Amino acid sequence: MNYGPLLFLAAFFALAGSWFGFVLTPQLQLGRLQQTNSIPSGATYPVARPGLAREGLDVYRANGCASCHSQQIGQTATTCDVVLADTGTNQAAMKAALLKLKPDWSDSEARQALGSLPQTLLRGATREEADAAMKTLNVGGAKVQLWIVPGGPDIARGWGKRRTVAEDFLFDYPVMPGSLRAGPDLANIGVRQSDPNWHLLHLYAPRVEVRDSPMPSFRFLFEKRRIERARSPDALSLPPELAPEPGYEIVPRLQAKALAAYLVSLRADAPLFDAPLTAPAPAAPATNAPAK
Amino acid sequence: MNPDPAPSTRSEPAEPRAGRRAVPVWLIILMLLLFYWGMVYFDQRSAWGTASVYTPYRSLADLQKYQPPTASGNLERGKAVYETVCALCHNTDGMGKPNQAPPFAGSEWVLGTPNRMIRIPLAGLSGPVEVKGAQWALAMPAMGAALSDEDLAAVLSYIRQSFGNKASAITADQVKAIRAAVGNRSQPWTAEQLNAIQ
Amino acid sequence: MTDATSSPSRTNASQADATDAIDASCRVPLFVLVLSGALWLVIGSMFALVASIKFHAPQFLADSPFLTYGRVYPAATNSFLYGFCLQVGLAVGLWLIARLGGALLAQPWLITVGAMLWNLGVTVGVLAILAGNNTGFENLEMPGYAAVILFLGYLMIGLWGVVTFHRRRDRGLFVSQWFLFTALFWFPWIYSTANLLLISFPVRGVVQAVIAWWYSNNLTVVWLSLVGLAAVFYFVPKLTRRELHSHYLALYTYWMLILFASWGGIPNTAPVPAWMPVTSTVATVLTVIPILAVALNVFWTLRAQDPASNRSADAPSASPPEAEPRGRNSRAPSFFPLAFIVVGVFAFVLAGLSRVVGVLIDTNQTLHFTWFARAQSLLNIYGFLVMVLFGSVYYILPRLAGMDFPFASLIRVHFLLALLGILVLVSPLAIGGGIQTVLFQNPDLASVDIAKRMLPFLRVSTTGDLFLLLGHLVFLGNLAGLVWRFYRARAAAAYAVATADLFKPAEARS
Repeated sequence: MNYGPLLFLAAFFALAGSWFGFVLTPQLQLGRLQQTNSIPSGATYPVARPGLAREGLDVYRANGCASCHSQQIGQTATTCDVVLADTGTNQAAMKAALLKLKPDWSDSEARQALGSLPQTLLRGATREEADAAMKTLNVGGAKVQLWIVPGGPDIARGWGKRRTVAEDFLFDYPVMPGSLRAGPDLANIGVRQSDPNWHLLHLYAPRVEVRDSPMPSFRFLFEKRRIERARSPDALSLPPELAPEPGYEIVPRLQAKALAAYLVSLRADAPLFDAPLTAPAPAAPATNAPAK
Repeated sequence: MNPDPAPSTRSEPAEPRAGRRAVPVWLIILMLLLFYWGMVYFDQRSAWGTASVYTPYRSLADLQKYQPPTASGNLERGKAVYETVCALCHNTDGMGKPNQAPPFAGSEWVLGTPNRMIRIPLAGLSGPVEVKGAQWALAMPAMGAALSDEDLAAVLSYIRQSFGNKASAITADQVKAIRAAVGNRSQPWTAEQLNAIQ
Repeated sequence: MTDATSSPSRTNASQADATDAIDASCRVPLFVLVLSGALWLVIGSMFALVASIKFHAPQFLADSPFLTYGRVYPAATNSFLYGFCLQVGLAVGLWLIARLGGALLAQPWLITVGAMLWNLGVTVGVLAILAGNNTGFENLEMPGYAAVILFLGYLMIGLWGVVTFHRRRDRGLFVSQWFLFTALFWFPWIYSTANLLLISFPVRGVVQAVIAWWYSNNLTVVWLSLVGLAAVFYFVPKLTRRELHSHYLALYTYWMLILFASWGGIPNTAPVPAWMPVTSTVATVLTVIPILAVALNVFWTLRAQDPASNRSADAPSASPPEAEPRGRNSRAPSFFPLAFIVVGVFAFVLAGLSRVVGVLIDTNQTLHFTWFARAQSLLNIYGFLVMVLFGSVYYILPRLAGMDFPFASLIRVHFLLALLGILVLVSPLAIGGGIQTVLFQNPDLASVDIAKRMLPFLRVSTTGDLFLLLGHLVFLGNLAGLVWRFYRARAAAAYAVATADLFKPAEARS
């Protein structure tokens, strides 16, 4: 029997199956993904990276940063915290409710808790437990908040507040999730290190800011030039053992600035429907009042 | 140089042949057991391909359970209201019924500004309206007029976060504000009137 | 040696002639493919050594943009995969298809041109990676223009492989032929899909990552296994003069491999909906079946007591099977090829089982980011396929050239260097990776401190890279020497024929 055509069909069927499953179906499901809204504020997410950051993505790709850094945050659990923000008008009822929620607390502990707000009353609870606690504490106009808290080793380590999802990579080409963590995960590096100068110094001399870092230096992204009339505002301020000789300064090239802008733009912490999260309240905005 | 005797094809072993012994039965049983395990594992954790469900969530219901609370309570309440009030015409899967009600899934009226979406159940909608490229010309009664602010906010939030929709929830305060703005309107909305609202 | 009857002897001789003709048809393309592959192996090892050193000496060669780690490491992997594994894999595959089908290799000169195109593509690609024009996708770093050249080169090689398969005399198929025929069309499909959807007409967002993972898995796990197992199922029974234990077990292996292994590759932290990593996990666990099947088949074949079970009525070898002529190094010439291949099978089973176990125990979603995953990948590509290809080449090339290697005693040196190299390269990375996973669970430990604790392991594994590089130099030297010897002997013979008349004694001339 001529097994040749049969063999071809077998192999074709097998490869077609995995092609269908991991090439066609993801494209059908996620290929036309659009911007979504963050929950509950409704802000559009994601917004495209600004131009310099977009160029920085190219520098990231060209220098193979993804060989040592990943950009995927994992999440292994979601729990709820119940936080008391305001006791409302009826202090006595509030204390009674608190003692009902926490029967093992003494009177003085309860009073102490009510004195230092905001107070996290329940941590790591399931949604049902948290809802029940909310109902108990909802007396006399008290402000009780239910926080959704994602959990997992990456999140515990501070690398992110929630897991990364498809929307986080919507506008990027190429998408470089990385596969080895020789260095920290970078999905939210723009939150942890939001100053581009930190990144510029780190690229020039990694061991200045992170002792014993195994990261190589990227000096070719910078140039050493003679100081003309005045020091350039971009010049790096280096420790004496790395500083150039007097009369010279180290200035980042456009590539380094682009890469720093890209790194600063990396954040994946907007609360979404796919990755619910209670975002911390934004800091109070600075006023425009003149300094006293 | 005295080379080794050259290997030649005359001295090499014959081309191999394969014996016809059977596959050990336990290897086949192992495969069947692993298949079974795989099916159970897939069933439990994959949400059968739902696009919004990422690990560690196991299903859309699991994901909805952990959505941050809105003032109108969680989506379970919204779902309950939906099934009682809206599903009869709009279908439990939000896909609508031809000649009865347009779909909610992916509808621009649902995903757009809440100001339009809240008004529709408060006074109803009649006349021609375009939904996802298709023309509908029916009449919807004011199904939300009798609902409380919390219930209406819950069901609208449910619609905005189910059937593949991903939009923000609607609060009871928003519903209250729109209700006040609409007042005692008895005339159903038309599409042009709604489109004029920002 | 004479047989009992004259007819089998004539069959024997004529079949041997036919086999010689087949080998002769394979000679030029295989010389080019294997020699270029060996050269890329050496180049790749040098890049890999540099990359390995940079982990514990970050300033090593850091000032040159061309040698920064992020460019040198992809250059190394691409040299290994496309320069050596694919080229020499195809070479061994073509020879196996020709031999098993009893057909001459079709259009050897076109295949040679294809090989040269392939090498041009890899050169352009690796230089582009070093210059910073990589694509950003793992195992697919070569830019589009290099990929086009590679694809054309592949078509010129693979197409004629398919034609050779089609021209086989015996319509029944041996195990290896299924694997090879499948491999011949598996690669162009995955490669063209990956290049079209990631580079030419890129898909949007995270779908790129999914397709990149799909491609990488299908190349490094499925394709390399197809070619490696084809060689294993051929050489293990042949060199031990036994029959492969079970045709049906091999068939089972084939089906389970192509059906399940092709769905692996999506990690559990991937920013994609849950069904994708879950499907990959299930598929990876199911690959334990073909791994066990291979282990059993090979183990039982090696353990079989009766070498005479190889014989049947039309076997070309005489009875009893004659002992191979023993060379200076007092081992049968088929010892080292078999040794390389058996080590390869061990590595295949170990790498595969570690992949299965790794996917099951990674509930904390950190193991696949550690050095353990890198060790698994090295064990699979290097420990399995590269070793199997070494063994195959050490067997095939002397037959093609009709002469033995010039430094045959160095084959043992290569074997020891390779074995030691793999052990010293992979084990510290695997152990270090395990420790890394445990350390990552402690959120108070800074990642730079964890990296510091990995340094001793990385230093040891650099030594492994060094051993491997030395072994590759020996390999290249032996191959180059053989090819040189062959052509010099040929040139000498041609010269002798051409000038035979000139040196006849005077009376014979008149």
